[in-house]
Amino acid sequence: MIASILAAVMLLQLQDTVQVLGPATIYGESKRQELMHLSLGSVEVGRNYIENNFSGTLAQSLSSIPGVQARAIGSGQSKPAIRGLGFNRIAVAVDGIKHEGQQWGDDHGLEIDQFAVDRVEVVKGPGALMYGSDAIGGVLGIYTNYLPIKAFEGRVKLFGRSNNLSGGLSARLQGRREHFYWKLHLTGSDYADYKVPTDEIEYYSYRIPLKDGTLRNTAGLERDASLTLGYVSPSFRNDFKVSETWSKSGFFANAHGLEVRLSEIDYDASRRDIDLPWQSVSHLTLHNHSHLHGEGFTLDGDVAWQLNHRQERSEPVSHGYMPTPPDDLERDFRKHTLTGKLGGKIILSEKNLLQTGLDAEFQHNRRGGWGFIIPDFETLSTGLYLTDRHTVSEKLNFNAGLRYDHVYTDIHGYTDWFTTPDEDGTPAYKQRSGDISRHFDSFTWSAGLAWSPGRWVLKANLGKSFRVPIPKELGADGVNYHIFRYEKGSAELKPEQSYQADASINWIGKKLSFRLDPYLNLFPNYIYLNPGSNYYEGLQMYNYTQAEVFRSGFEAQLTWKVLSCLELEAKGEYLYARQLSGAKKGYGLPFSPPWKAGFDARYTFPGDGFVLMDVRIAGRQDEIVPPEKPTEGWYTLNFSAGKSFSLGPVVLKAAVQLENLLNRRYYDHTSYYRLIGVPEPGRNASLMLGLEF
Amino acid sequence: MNRYLSIFLLCALCACSSSSGEKDLVPPEILPVEEYISPTNCQEYPLGTFLPVACLFTDDVELGSFNLEVHNNFDHHTHGTEAGECRQDPKKDPVNPWIYNKDYKIPAGQSSYEVDLKIPIPEDVDLGEYHFMIRLTDASGWQQLRSVSIRLIEALD
Repeated sequence: MIASILAAVMLLQLQDTVQVLGPATIYGESKRQELMHLSLGSVEVGRNYIENNFSGTLAQSLSSIPGVQARAIGSGQSKPAIRGLGFNRIAVAVDGIKHEGQQWGDDHGLEIDQFAVDRVEVVKGPGALMYGSDAIGGVLGIYTNYLPIKAFEGRVKLFGRSNNLSGGLSARLQGRREHFYWKLHLTGSDYADYKVPTDEIEYYSYRIPLKDGTLRNTAGLERDASLTLGYVSPSFRNDFKVSETWSKSGFFANAHGLEVRLSEIDYDASRRDIDLPWQSVSHLTLHNHSHLHGEGFTLDGDVAWQLNHRQERSEPVSHGYMPTPPDDLERDFRKHTLTGKLGGKIILSEKNLLQTGLDAEFQHNRRGGWGFIIPDFETLSTGLYLTDRHTVSEKLNFNAGLRYDHVYTDIHGYTDWFTTPDEDGTPAYKQRSGDISRHFDSFTWSAGLAWSPGRWVLKANLGKSFRVPIPKELGADGVNYHIFRYEKGSAELKPEQSYQADASINWIGKKLSFRLDPYLNLFPNYIYLNPGSNYYEGLQMYNYTQAEVFRSGFEAQLTWKVLSCLELEAKGEYLYARQLSGAKKGYGLPFSPPWKAGFDARYTFPGDGFVLMDVRIAGRQDEIVPPEKPTEGWYTLNFSAGKSFSLGPVVLKAAVQLENLLNRRYYDHTSYYRLIGVPEPGRNASLMLGLEF
Repeated sequence: MNRYLSIFLLCALCACSSSSGEKDLVPPEILPVEEYISPTNCQEYPLGTFLPVACLFTDDVELGSFNLEVHNNFDHHTHGTEAGECRQDPKKDPVNPWIYNKDYKIPAGQSSYEVDLKIPIPEDVDLGEYHFMIRLTDASGWQQLRSVSIRLIEALD
């Protein structure tokens, strides 16, 4: 119903837009062109933006973009979300290859070195056309494809944060000799337990005192390295990249496992040590990208292999009928992903650009350890797409595309390693997950337009996206130790579908610019982990089910260049979500972001320096589902400044950031730790010194 | 063009203001029955007797199910939800600890349910400090917990 109304509205818009375009002087031409290239709402930011908004993780550094949220899962880790959708509902792609970790997990972050990133494109809407399953909520496109221009160049960055006493060093060295180039990245950082402005947290009536407001055992370290070897000529470019991201980080000691626990371990002895429970993740990627440029066409080919190896270790404890396990390896995941992509652009005529491509991805996941949550599986996905961009004039273009996907998932059954008495009291090895084989087919499409009359850029897009149920949703059958519950998958789930109508209204003026991105989104069968009323050996049962979900919202941004040196900006976002069917009809969705607004004033002084003061405000969130609690609204005051100094051939850059200046105690409704009542980090100062040559 | 954009925006706004209907947002409660609740913190029970469980479950809409569980605290792993500490023995390894873990379904449609049960305590299990947990859900999936420390002592002759 909603979809058909939308379709009608969009058709009317389509007819309405074919009008005579008057001549207009365009300011902010590059901005306009950037907006015109896609009919979906997208935001592109460069390395400078990431550096100026530098935060503990890449997701946090990007969270000042309206519509992008970082879901904190501890100091060293956070998960990105676009318009409230995260986990497997957004695709994170590095240089066009979908990043495949264990993104289903509540406390699994992104295994990406934020210092190696050159550019990020956030697509706020269904991106299935180019990326297939998972891009249902949007795409975080990360690019590291900078082409060196000098024989030898590089930069070194030194950074630190006060809240978790972190320190790190990142270096990039690169060079180019005629057709050949190389790039080397090295990053290392260490951080201690982070501080929150409270002495005690309370979870289900358990009071957990915190020593000096320190969240015990949240320390960690990260080591990243990558090497790219490349060849470039006017018609051909080839990049071969090897990268490894490795991290080890502690889990908050008092809330990991089946219950709030005390331990023999003296967690308060040091803020820097990493005791049990902890996790380590290694992500290795080999990626070859080739690009061929010819008369009227381009051809791109990618081959990539990713190995994501995650281990979660905790003190062995008996539970129910499970005896004390022999070691501390609770979970081990080893996932191989092989990706192949072939894509071509054909300029059919001056007006038509045709794009077509074929993708294939194979995943192989094996588990280990004494805790079971997801089964072993293999998946094979293939997709074929075709899009056309019809340029009526420089001011108006239409685009439309189709995609077909086939996904095969093969899940292996799992049987407990210990016995549980059956109904007659006879000990038996219980089967947790059965053998499941499923084939999924999906047909998706998208159509839109971008129109730029005068200083306006107006965009509209309507699209269908999909997501294949992940093995956890199909075959999970076990205790989620991180959150004290029993999760049960359903082998019958259908591919999740989403219809979304997006608009983007931009006005680019000399002094004043504004942007409004509203959207309507309907999921006929959103996959939802429903908290049930039954118990399984004392753990509350959560079942994967599907429900109709309606979502709607907008992001807005207003920029006023008061003087050439002074810029004021206001931005905000709002999201509404409602389950329209199923057991939780009438409820919203878990971790729904509240409305947010931000106001900042930026003063730029001659010689490449700036000072920025900003206030961030979030509204109260009463849209809760069990086991959430309503979250009070909050505000924080933040300050940042940066300056570059030219010292002959080298440039010295310094940037300082002061976050939560008033040391306000607040809870972020979208944070994983909100469930156990842990507030957001207190006051923090961070410093970054960079040398570019 | 602007007209249709306004329709679009209006749709979005209408959606925001539409009423959500009745939602259960309140967890169930574990209460005493006329000021009596059992067990309470630090109570002692001889082997071979019964552990009396008495309390009242209430919910503003409908109760779901509950679970009763006993596990040892020989390693002093945690506190209960009740204030105050009980006497503690030195830490020890379990040899034959008492494990009790049973799920109970509350009949449909109840918003109040009285529990009056006697759990038999085996005669041959390890003595010492145990935790007794009550877990309770309502039909919407909200959960309430109550945890107390109890002690198993020598059987009475």
